[in-house]
Order: sequence, then structure tokens, then C-alpha cells
Amino acid sequence: MKPRIITRKQLSELLDRLAQEVCLYAPVRDRTGTSWAKISRADEVCLEAVNTVEPAKGFVFPRCEVLLRFDPQGNPVEPEPPPEQVVFGIRPCDARGIAFLVKFYTQEGRTDPYVKARRQKTTLIGVACSRTAPTCFCLGVGGSPQGSEGLDLLLVDLGDELLAEPVTDKGEKLVADLPAAGEKHLTAAAEQKKKVEAEISLRIDTGRLRELLPGLYESGVWQALALTCVNCGACTFLCPTCHCFDVTDETIRGRTVRCRVWDSCQFTLYSRHASGHNPRLDPASRYRNRIMDKFYYTVEQAGMVSCVGCGRCIISCPAGIDIRQTVRKVQDAK
Amino acid sequence: MPDAENFEPKIVAFLCNWCSYAGADLAGISRLHYPPSIRVIRVPCSGRVDPFFILQALQQGADGVLVSGCHPGDCHYLTGNFVARRRFAVLNDLLQFCGIEPGRVTFAWVSASEGERFAKLVTEVTEKVKKLGPNRKLKKELP
Amino acid sequence: MDRSEKLRQRARELLEKKEVVMVIGFGPPSDSGISPVLFATTPEEAENLTASTSCAQNLANYLLKVRDRGRVAVVARGCDARSITVLLQENQLKRENLHILGIGCEGVIENGRKSTACAVCRHPNPTIYDELIGEPVPAPEPDPEILKADQEFEQLSPDERWERLSAELDRCIRCYACRQVCPNCYCPVCFVDASMPQLLGRTHNLSDNMVYHIIRALHMAGRCVECGACHRACPVGIDLMRFNRRVAKTVRERFGCDAGTDLNQAPALTGFKPDDPQEFIQ
Repeated sequence: MKPRIITRKQLSELLDRLAQEVCLYAPVRDRTGTSWAKISRADEVCLEAVNTVEPAKGFVFPRCEVLLRFDPQGNPVEPEPPPEQVVFGIRPCDARGIAFLVKFYTQEGRTDPYVKARRQKTTLIGVACSRTAPTCFCLGVGGSPQGSEGLDLLLVDLGDELLAEPVTDKGEKLVADLPAAGEKHLTAAAEQKKKVEAEISLRIDTGRLRELLPGLYESGVWQALALTCVNCGACTFLCPTCHCFDVTDETIRGRTVRCRVWDSCQFTLYSRHASGHNPRLDPASRYRNRIMDKFYYTVEQAGMVSCVGCGRCIISCPAGIDIRQTVRKVQDAK
Repeated sequence: MPDAENFEPKIVAFLCNWCSYAGADLAGISRLHYPPSIRVIRVPCSGRVDPFFILQALQQGADGVLVSGCHPGDCHYLTGNFVARRRFAVLNDLLQFCGIEPGRVTFAWVSASEGERFAKLVTEVTEKVKKLGPNRKLKKELP
Repeated sequence: MDRSEKLRQRARELLEKKEVVMVIGFGPPSDSGISPVLFATTPEEAENLTASTSCAQNLANYLLKVRDRGRVAVVARGCDARSITVLLQENQLKRENLHILGIGCEGVIENGRKSTACAVCRHPNPTIYDELIGEPVPAPEPDPEILKADQEFEQLSPDERWERLSAELDRCIRCYACRQVCPNCYCPVCFVDASMPQLLGRTHNLSDNMVYHIIRALHMAGRCVECGACHRACPVGIDLMRFNRRVAKTVRERFGCDAGTDLNQAPALTGFKPDDPQEFIQ
């Protein structure tokens, strides 16, 4: 698929049109930075922040997904199918997060129909990063500020114009009528990539981690690391790849829903058995689980590290824990 | 949706076993009339009423809540209602701060001998809640 | 000698003389601008201690984690010390197992501004300590903007107040960071985690979010020291101090109690006076 060029005006027109036709979501300014919201006009979009406070994973894996409804007679009612939606302004790291979720949840023999259906109904238009935050480390975990994994269409801001690289047929359809990008556009994009990549310094050797982690299960390093952690769920809920859920039935005034809601391995309730026994009562074991899962378990299960380097866990951690430092300490552990 | 004219509020009443519940009983024995709006939950003491009970009643769809116990000094457990009073004071302030209408939740002292007072209280509370209309704020709606 | 150097020196001495097994204080800030808590167990580790107040957390929270390890020294600002006082009152800590290194606090800086809680701080100096590092600091003038905003909020109609708080709390993702960072939220099983029976719903809805925050504020009544750790911890930026300030004000005005300022005064809601005001009761 050929890269094309789109002017700012054309992009505004495209977004205005999409907002009319489908549910269009984009980052909008709010008190704490930018957050995802349904928009009706192109000028509501705000791409000034390096990234949104919350990740975009909710578009395929919502915080609360209704699985079933029961009417007052107790008969199950199928929930309404997911809506056709377009997400504009997603960053490459978040798109990789969605790529991970889709990969994880659509494996042979264990496909999750909900994530699959939502991804099919979703078009992801990414915007490459033209600057970074000190907490960004996508390069260290296999991503890139101009990565297109998980996207349908990637836009690279070149000033007056944007380079539009279609990734899937869905993306191609959106820009099919536009002129092809010239050599100067591609060079400008490549230069931008080089510049932004140079801003990201901290790297993680994920290959080595995968080898090291199984041997560190009983290591004392977790106790030391977990002392600072307060075991809240901020890092996991804001992580673009954290994918754990709990299924809950709630009844009120005769009506019942069965929902699946985000859950966090940092909560004590998460691992509590029906008998009351809890194999992960110790905070350190919960902390260990998170790191093991990110860099070892999911690599075994889905062939992909479940960290995309967005830095949200660093920003949101009330205790000031930096996952890059954690990894460094784990690598040095005996 | 019921219109304002025909709106019959549902009110959950937490009554202490030793005073207010007996007061309600006396109202009944005395054949006193009061609106059939309340659903009584008998508790051992007003001190047993966790603020969460009150909020949960509103979540489940009650239009009003009445909490009633023994007059100060008359508690069967000596100090239960004194401790409860502080708790209710903070809850009451916080609910109003959050924008829950004054009158949605009522606190009262009713003794075992005050059957008449109980009937009057329920009538007043029902009128007040009727005027406020159905509880929409804390009522829980499923996703 | 500046405060940081004095703090490090005392920490080193305490560890060298084995008077304590650990010194809990602030380390240098990470990339997010927040100082992770530093647990120094050797004189060398104490070298990284700093008196800078980029530590967003209430250190009393960590005392609960290490309370079975022996005598521990802790750096305590006004709010850390008040929380420690509440924990002592509630028999969660043993005074003889603590060595409190009191330090005056100039407020936590968050995104270049003084944190909301610190902008109206009434107790920057520790109310309880074994030794004071440096001089006490004067209490800051309360930020008039915050006081004005509070006043304006209370003058709104009930419906307007509900609308404002609904918009705020609808964003709550129930990560419970506010609960976890609070030193005075230490129940072994929180009411939101009770599952047999389940007390609070787990689906995303305004009612459950509201009830969570109302009950949380109530549980903190007379115990909350307004340190603002929960406010700073909230990843989606909910103005939690608005609730905390209101509840603390109610408790102060009605019962004359200021949480954690007096070790001998029991927390407000555990006691009563026969003549407590009861104008709201019919």
C-alpha cells in the first residue's frame, strides 16, 4: 500500500465526515491532560499531549463489558452488538497495546468473541510521535515512535501536510483518493523518526529478561522491590496491555446483567480462591506476578512482551516506581 | 414513570428495637393512621445503622430513608445512639454537600411511648419525600 | 549544615549505633517527578536521603508494612506525624518501635505547583517527634483560590453540586490508589472487596462510584489528616481533597477535633459528648 499525503484541511474534512457517519473518538483536552472522548467536529481534537491519561485499550476491551442481560422473568437477552467506531489520534505504543490484546485474545482454540468483534468494528488511525516524554521507552521494548503495528492507518505530522501510511484495507479506503507521497515527504518522515528516536535513551533487554525471570521466582529481589509498592491498581488499569478481567453478576430491581470488568493482579481479591485460600496474599508475590507476566508469561503464551513502553505506569504510580529501574534491578539480581 | 400527583414514595425505615420499633407498634395498636409508604427494618440499636445501609437503600431505589432510635440518654445499650449521632451528623453533612436533597434522609428520636409522634413523623417524612419526587441521584442503574 | 545533610548524618548515626533497623525517608525524584520512598538499612543507603519534599506519599503508610521488623526511624512532616498519631491512637503502631525524625515541610510540589492539600496546610510541622531536624517552618497563608472555590461550591444548588461531583466521580476507574496510599485505610478487608456477600457493585456506574467515595470519606472522618496523598495518587485527577476538606471541617466545627494533633484526644467518631449538637435530628 502506497504512502499518501494529506493536507490539514483534508484531514479536518475527513474527521468531520467520519463524525457524521460513525462514532468518532479522539483525544480531547481535559483538566489532567488529554482524555478519550466521542467528538462531533475535527476541531475538538487535541494532540498536544505526548499521550492520553488513559490508554486506548478500552475500545476493544472496555472497562465494563455487558456479556448478558436477564429480563425480570430470568430469560437471557443478548446484548447489543458493538458499534462501528473510528479512533483517531492513537499513538503507536497504544496501537501496539491493542495489537497485543487482539493477539492474546484471538489465539487458536481460545478466541474471545468480544475483543474480536470490537476490533473488527474499529478503525484505528494513529498519529506518530513528534516528541517524547522522559517516561517514554517504546524503543526499548520493540516499538517505535512511528510504528504502525496494530493500526489501520498511520499519520506522520510534517507541518502543513501529513504523511498517511495505510496499514490495512480499512486504512487504505480512507485515503485511496489522495495523492501519493513524494520522496521529500518520506525523507522528512524518516528524519523525524531519527530525531524522536534519539530522545529515547533507556532500553530494556527483554530477550535477556525472558531467560532470567524463570530462575528468579524465589529470589529475594521481589521483597525489596515490593516494599515501595502500595499494591493499588493504577499501573495495571492504565496499562495498554493489561488484560485481566473478572466476571460479575449484578441484580437490581429484578434486572440482572452479567458483566466482565477489568481486574488487577495487584488486588488481594484477584487471586482469592472460592475456599478462601489466597496463594498471593503477600504483596511481593503480587508485584512479582506483574513483572513476570509482562516479560515472561505473555511471551510464552502469545509470543509478545506485554509492555509497550508508554510510561503510564511510571507517571501514574503514586509511589514513584519506575518499571525501567525495576527491570534493571531484576537483571542485576542473584 | 409515575407523575408527581400519583407518586407514592417508598421509604426504608431503620427502627431501633427498643424504642422506635415499639413506638411504631404502639401506633399500630392505637389504630393510628399514617401513609403506607414505609418499609421497616428492625435493628438492635441506631448504633447498628451503618451509613452504608442508608446509601444502599437509596441505591436499590428507595425514595427516602428514615433512621430512628431512642432519645439521647435512653439507649438500651447506654451510649449506642450517642455514638451513632456523631456518625449521622457527618453523613448528613456529607450527603447535603454532595447534593442529596435535604429531607431525602431523615433522622429522628422516637420512644416506645410515642406512638402518636411516630405516626406524625411518618406522615411528615412521606409528605417531604413526595415533594422531592422520586430518588434519581443515588439510584443505581445497571450498565 | 543544611537540613538534608543533617538528616543524612542522623540517619547514619542511628543505623551505625543500631538504634534502628531502618530509616524511612525520601529518595531523589524519579522521571515522573515523584520521589520513591527510600528504605535505608545501612549507613551507605542513608546517603541518598533528602529533605526535599517531592515525596507525594504519606510515610506513615509504610510504617504499617514494616511494623514487625523492629525499631524503625521515620522522617515525618506535619501530616506524616499526624497520621502516625492516629495510628498510635488506634493501636496500629507501638511508640517504642518508632524513632520520629521530625522535619518542617514546605509543601509537595506537583507539576510545578504546590499540591492542593499543601496549599491550605495548617500543620506543616510535626506534632509528635523524637528529634526535630532543622527549624520549624511557618504555616503558609491558605491559598485564597481554593477557599473561594470551596465557598462557591457550597453555595450552588443541590442539583448543581450533584452534577459537578457526578462529572468528577464518573471518571473514577476504581483502581483504589486513593485507598492504598492512605495510612489510615488499613482494614484487612475493605468493604469494596467484601465478596460474601458482595457489598458494592463492581460494574462501572455512577451510583457505586459515588457510594465508594462517600463511604471512604466517612470512614476517614475524624481520622483524615488532609495530607493529600490520595488526591495526588489519583491517576485520573479526581479532586478528592474537596471531600476530605469538607469532612474534616464538619468534624472540627461540630466536635472540636483536629485529627492527629493530640495523642490524648481520641478520634472524633469513636467517642461522643452527651450534648453534641443534634439540630438535624427530628
